[in-house]
Amino acid sequence: MANQFDVIIVGGGHNGLVAAATLAQEGQRVLVLEQRPVLGGAAANEEVFPGFHINTGADDAGLFFDEISQRLGLPSHGLAFTQGQALLFAPQPDGQALTIWRDPAATTASIAQFSQHDAEQFPAFKSRVERMAAVLHDMALLPPPDLNELQFNTLSDLIGIGLRRPELRAWGNVALKAKRLGDEEMMEFIRVLPLAAQTYLDEWFESNALKGALGGSAVTGLTLGPRSSGTTLMFLYQAMHGLLNSRYVVGGIGRLSEALADKARSNGAVIRTGAPVESILVAGDLEQSATGVRLADGEEIRAAAVLSNVDPRRTLFGLVGPQQLDPEVMRQVRNIIYRGSTAKINLALDSLPDFNGQTSTEQLTGRIRISPSLNYLERAYDAAKYGQYSSAPYLDMVIPTLHDPTLAPDGQHILSITVQFAPYALRDTDWSPRRKRSPIQSWIQSLYVCTEHSPAGSPLPDADASGLGANLRANRRSITHGHMGLDQLLVMRPIPGWSQYRTPIRNLYLCGAGTHPGGGVTGVPGYHAARSVLGRN
Amino acid sequence: MRRFQTVGSSGKVNLALDGLPELACQPGVGRHMAGAISISPSIDYIERAYDDAKYGNISRKPYIDIIFPSIIDPDMAPPGKHVMSCFVQYAPYQLADGPWTDEKREAFGDTVVNTLAEYFPNLKDLIIGRQVLTPVDIERMVGISQGNIFHGELSLSQLFFLRPAAGYAKYRTPLSGYYQCGSGTHPGGGIMGAPGRLAALEALKDAR
Repeated sequence: MANQFDVIIVGGGHNGLVAAATLAQEGQRVLVLEQRPVLGGAAANEEVFPGFHINTGADDAGLFFDEISQRLGLPSHGLAFTQGQALLFAPQPDGQALTIWRDPAATTASIAQFSQHDAEQFPAFKSRVERMAAVLHDMALLPPPDLNELQFNTLSDLIGIGLRRPELRAWGNVALKAKRLGDEEMMEFIRVLPLAAQTYLDEWFESNALKGALGGSAVTGLTLGPRSSGTTLMFLYQAMHGLLNSRYVVGGIGRLSEALADKARSNGAVIRTGAPVESILVAGDLEQSATGVRLADGEEIRAAAVLSNVDPRRTLFGLVGPQQLDPEVMRQVRNIIYRGSTAKINLALDSLPDFNGQTSTEQLTGRIRISPSLNYLERAYDAAKYGQYSSAPYLDMVIPTLHDPTLAPDGQHILSITVQFAPYALRDTDWSPRRKRSPIQSWIQSLYVCTEHSPAGSPLPDADASGLGANLRANRRSITHGHMGLDQLLVMRPIPGWSQYRTPIRNLYLCGAGTHPGGGVTGVPGYHAARSVLGRN
Repeated sequence: MRRFQTVGSSGKVNLALDGLPELACQPGVGRHMAGAISISPSIDYIERAYDDAKYGNISRKPYIDIIFPSIIDPDMAPPGKHVMSCFVQYAPYQLADGPWTDEKREAFGDTVVNTLAEYFPNLKDLIIGRQVLTPVDIERMVGISQGNIFHGELSLSQLFFLRPAAGYAKYRTPLSGYYQCGSGTHPGGGIMGAPGRLAALEALKDAR
């Protein structure tokens, strides 16, 4: 019996949809199965409170790769970005505030309130960081090299492999580009990747306010503090499209997912929501091969290939089943570190909040961060180490309604708060609705610390308590589908030997953030996975 | 070089004892006393010891690595007496509440002895003499910057061709004829002798 589809994609997150659109564009017959009624996974927009359309996961599409958007022609499918004049606003407990603007002169003036030295250093810091981050950007655009193929005895073997494998040639180009940084900067790049962000920031700056605000980027989605090794790498990763650069999707980030879905459908893809997949069907004794999926309601659908947007462990243990796996692969999958500790609070507000040191609304058009020092950030992380939530957490906030007022009723706003740290596995309590009230209260209190000295004296309006409780998401496991530590990147992502979007099960591919380059709504894992499917055999 | 991380955070407490102390968990004198004895009951314990140091405090419950050199070589102490050598982490070079003083050094020594006494209940009765060395003392006595026992943190960013700095990893310095041969060069500290040998070989190369 002929299959109706060439490829089934399990999960309609943004990466699944990038894969769907890419494959459909190449003439593949694609079916996407999403368990929730809404598309986008952690890049979705949902009406959580009447009239408030909330980005329930990510807010910022700053890391989404334009290369993908252009190849898929997403602007003609309704994708439009917008961005504010401010990059980062950091209200301080003492009533001051730091603002980093797109405009260099305004940035210098704001930093100078805290330190003249730091204000003078900042432009050189920014350009150095952006040059190094550009190398990471190019590395993200390439699938990791397949180390299994790098078996050679002589130099001419190696050159032969390089010439035969275009993807390896491409890595050579990145190496050349990195080399063009100059010997000194190349060494600097190698030196800083494993460095603790605190060490790197201390080398440049003296102001706690500036270092604390910048340091937030270095722990994004991680369960690490700024003193942990490898956090400078995350800092650079976040700067792949410019230091602190952020941009927002008109209509909410869900529109990005919808534009991808629209593009896929225009090339014949079928996308079903409310269609949870129960298992991935595997056949074959000697070499197991994915043949399709079984839905929760028992329906079976066959296809020549299955792509999973679900994280690697859940894909291989939950959907395939450990009995299908080689013991060594099982061990490696079991050892993937997830360590999720990011929570989200979405507040529906009567009016704009009034933060300490805030003099204009424009200041709030980028990220808003409560992270007054690196020690503050480190202490927030200390709690997570011992399975406790931070009582004074790092808060990374966005007001999406400043970019698109139609997301909320007239004059009202949304404050979208990402909270670190809220460990998935709490030692002495749990995330049941009753027990999570107390962390939420203390987190909101941390927000007030940077609003109570407000000269205008108007505190934040009260949150809808019931809505709050219902909408707190202590993310299962990890927002990046696997911790993005040095040990789980590139050829190690998701597990050593399987970094090519393939899995030990033939015709089963991974296309989520658990694969290279990782999380952050880049779209890149989905794109590479689709290329991997197209290039199979 | 200003960026080279050299902050020390290890201390040393040397005790002269009237006899061997007994371990609560395994009383009596035996071969178990002749190797290293480690006070580090869990990963969390070590992590919490580090937490104190991060913010410029000595560890309230330090990680302690103990050797009785006099068990291996009785000549190291008068007959019947013993030396208990305790390597302690953490004692940060820079304290949050200002420079090290004699009082703070003794308070650090008390913390170590009190922690040890939890594991060696009869220890305090045996102490004849106590020498406490902080990173500041190590810097003063041995001349190692900031008392870092490895002449610079052994971290990924300070190894191989980056030790002590990019471009100066081959034991040479910007001054011709001036070489470095200490733990601050590749491969680093730990009393292995390798930096000295490699530096000598480089100097010989230049001399030829």
